[in-house]
Amino acid sequence: MAVRIFEPGDDYVLNHCTKYLSRAGLPPAPGDDARNESFRARIAEAWRFPIIGFMRDADADPDLNLVTFVYKTSPGDPRQVQVLGTFSELYRSISLAPVRFEDQDTGYRALSVGIPKAQVHTYKYVVDGRYVLDPINPQRVILGNGRPWSRFFTDGYLQPLVLEPWEIRLLYRLVEQILPFRGKEAENFLKRYYFGLNREQRKTDMPKAFRLDDSVGEVNAIDKFLAREEAHRLADYQLCLRQIDRALRRQNPVLEPADMPAQDFVELYEKMAKSHGSGDNPIPGWNYDEYGNPSFFLYILRRHAVTAAFAHPKYAGNVGAAGWAYLSERYSDPAAGTLFDWRPAIERPIGTSAYYR
Amino acid sequence: MQDSFDVIVVGSGAGGAPIAHRLVQAGHNVLVVDKGPLLRPHYEVPGERSDFRRDEIYASSTEKILHVPGLANTGVSYYSSHVEPDINDEPHVYKGPDGRDYGTIEGYTAQVVGGGTQLYGAVSLRFTPTDLRLKSFNDNRRKPIAHDPNGDIRREARDWPIDYRALEPYYVMAEEMVGINGTRENQQKPFSAVKYQKPLAPNPISSYAHDGMVELGKRLGPGIAPYRTPLAVITEDHPWSGRQIPRNAKGEPDPEAGKTSYVNRYGDPLGLKSSTWVALLSPIKDKPNFAIWPNCVVTHVVSEGAKVTGVRLLDPGGVERFVKAEIVVVACSAIESVRLLKLSAMADAEFDRRINRNPLLGRYFLTHCFGGARALMPKRFDKSKALDADWATDCCATEEFLEENGLWAGAAIYNNTSDQALPLSLFRTYGSQDLDTLWNGFMGATDMRGDRFIDFLDAEFGRGLSISFMANQVPQFDNRIELHPQIEDKWGRPVAYVIKGWHEHDRYLMDVMAKQCGDVLRYGGDPVGHDYQIEGQGSIYMAENALARMANHILGGARFGSDPNDSVLDPQCRVWEFDNLYVTDGAFMPTSGGANPTLTIQANSFRVADHLLTRI
Repeated sequence: MAVRIFEPGDDYVLNHCTKYLSRAGLPPAPGDDARNESFRARIAEAWRFPIIGFMRDADADPDLNLVTFVYKTSPGDPRQVQVLGTFSELYRSISLAPVRFEDQDTGYRALSVGIPKAQVHTYKYVVDGRYVLDPINPQRVILGNGRPWSRFFTDGYLQPLVLEPWEIRLLYRLVEQILPFRGKEAENFLKRYYFGLNREQRKTDMPKAFRLDDSVGEVNAIDKFLAREEAHRLADYQLCLRQIDRALRRQNPVLEPADMPAQDFVELYEKMAKSHGSGDNPIPGWNYDEYGNPSFFLYILRRHAVTAAFAHPKYAGNVGAAGWAYLSERYSDPAAGTLFDWRPAIERPIGTSAYYR
Repeated sequence: MQDSFDVIVVGSGAGGAPIAHRLVQAGHNVLVVDKGPLLRPHYEVPGERSDFRRDEIYASSTEKILHVPGLANTGVSYYSSHVEPDINDEPHVYKGPDGRDYGTIEGYTAQVVGGGTQLYGAVSLRFTPTDLRLKSFNDNRRKPIAHDPNGDIRREARDWPIDYRALEPYYVMAEEMVGINGTRENQQKPFSAVKYQKPLAPNPISSYAHDGMVELGKRLGPGIAPYRTPLAVITEDHPWSGRQIPRNAKGEPDPEAGKTSYVNRYGDPLGLKSSTWVALLSPIKDKPNFAIWPNCVVTHVVSEGAKVTGVRLLDPGGVERFVKAEIVVVACSAIESVRLLKLSAMADAEFDRRINRNPLLGRYFLTHCFGGARALMPKRFDKSKALDADWATDCCATEEFLEENGLWAGAAIYNNTSDQALPLSLFRTYGSQDLDTLWNGFMGATDMRGDRFIDFLDAEFGRGLSISFMANQVPQFDNRIELHPQIEDKWGRPVAYVIKGWHEHDRYLMDVMAKQCGDVLRYGGDPVGHDYQIEGQGSIYMAENALARMANHILGGARFGSDPNDSVLDPQCRVWEFDNLYVTDGAFMPTSGGANPTLTIQANSFRVADHLLTRI
């Protein structure tokens, strides 16, 4: 599998990495895990690496993301830095090139490659022949041989990355208590909407929608937020979904939680909303030592659910812009037409803008 | 690497770009340094794909957590724009009402080439002549000032060392060269020339604001009518910057393409919003006597005696460099400019002695008194087809209004059309008061789910209309920018420490102005009874974190004046004790003006540029 290498230019790299990586001190030497972890933890937005951008050349494939690997070392460091990953042949590492500013070495080493959207990959850097994890990107995964690798995923990835199947099933049921997409009327809308997409969109979006259980893909997007931008919230989900599973079983000992009627979820939702700690409307079955504030988790879930449903489709929720289309159909005027005409502002093929790409 | 320039401008926003533009056009060798990246509009990028995106998560991110140790709100969530600094890297700290220190996202104007003009709502109002002579006005007023028992206002108000007539030609220049649409009629300020581009048709929901402003004007006396809010968005081809309105399939200009509601808090991928990059710097980018270094952090201004010799900066790789200049202009937004001067003083005793010849550096820090009112209007409209503010009125800025109400200074009032127009902005600003409290209202409204979620959308989507006022804050010596004694940024430098409070008169003024904004909605929503039910009216002093609120209008801290003992800068914005050091962002303002400040900062920078052209 040959990977396509692109050269967006040193300015592109600096404009996308300096704000996050410029800081006092240099990265510790590879191999010193504790110091490397401490260095990485101080980078406020380390999750932005590698940079998942969009293709810039006019003739480039729109189904690719421009993925830019950035390694930081000191200016003038003579060591070779390469990257080895599942996006290319695993026997061939590819060199990162020095990034220059005003003809001076900045210490950044970078490589940009085109990688298809909706993919996940693992990689390592090779620094002077030594294999190291990406010292910046916090995404790690333990592969079958027990070894950790760095990981990234491209836009619109649809498989779960960090949540377990049972967690996802439970999350679907919780999210449907918040968002309006599971009512009869809304379900009918979504079916009409997905069948009504043009041919090109139907080919790409309808399978996603049905794989995502007729929803607008909120749970998948939440999984992606927890894998990258909001990895700090993954523990909240893991701890709370366990408590929720336990509380639901206490409430209804007959059915599996994911199969329980909506009323069971409503009941638990209401209990969680009222419980801010073990001494405050305690929920039977909830272990407050493991997670002390059920209502706080509801707050996070509410923000995530609505963000996932109405953010740009590239975040893998709002599939085919169905969340926007729902608003567009619900709010219309017989004379003026829709009162949320979002399409002309948004790039093709999701929207219809003639100018914005 | 070139290491010597005629002029170095620190900051590429409203205070720096006009100077760079004028000096480069006149043939001088200029370097602009900016801490942030250079993100370009689509027509400057291969594939025409701008790094500015119509993506609501670009305006306010996914959740980040404040980790800076030692702050009272360490652990809180915040949601910043992709071009604001991460406050874990470079926090702004303010002293809360309980005396403890808090981190805030307020007070950054953006860290990107173009500065705050990349993110702002583009409201480009002039100040009134009275705004520039508030001492004279209040010394000679007929009726007493309300809520000022100690006479602070008469003691602390300052006239600007230049009057409106001196600034006016530069307003004209800025309106023409930056690219602003609007109307002159009904504005209560003299115009020697009108260079506005033609405004686009307002969003229909703004008709309520228009009608309410007409009624308010009648009731306040002389019947001052509203005008189209001047907005820094081009609606016609702009020969000064070479920008063109997109052409439709027939080859005709399509100015409506800009009406997307992805305007306020968004960089514009099409370059129609007149950021200082697209309007002033991009047109000179290929000139051999111009250089722009994004991603570089100026750490110190360096001097020998009364002469500044250059700046020290960290390049993108973190290497420290010294760059020489004949003149240095500091314009990296008031808080950061004051901080840079104080950091420079820490490193050099002589610089310290000169910059602190009086105790005023950092003092009289100002923001605006602001607030407004909001209502859900009788009809629903497509608010996603908007730039931002459609209508404005000066009926609360006249000297008659100030006399009648015992106010020391006036305010501009305008409506916000694009707020809560897009779905995520509706949810994340529900019940929140500012950038520090985004999402809190929606997250906590746990009963808004299922059918009630739909009820909320039915009630609010496309129906919200807000009216804002922007007014002068009383200058106070104790309102100030310092260096924080403990907390450092990611480069190990002390961060800015904002200490400010509201004067009793500020609170009174905000109550009066919020009432006028509420009345605009009451009158406009109910053309017969003039008593439309509104959601509420209020002002920033009521907010939980009222002491942090700045609307990103960060002004003062290095005020200019005619008396070296009463100001940091001379009338040309030169630091008194230095021959060749200038400060031209909002820090120069001795009073904050009754309108959004950007146009005035730009006009003043054009004025300073003319002065610089006489000396180099």
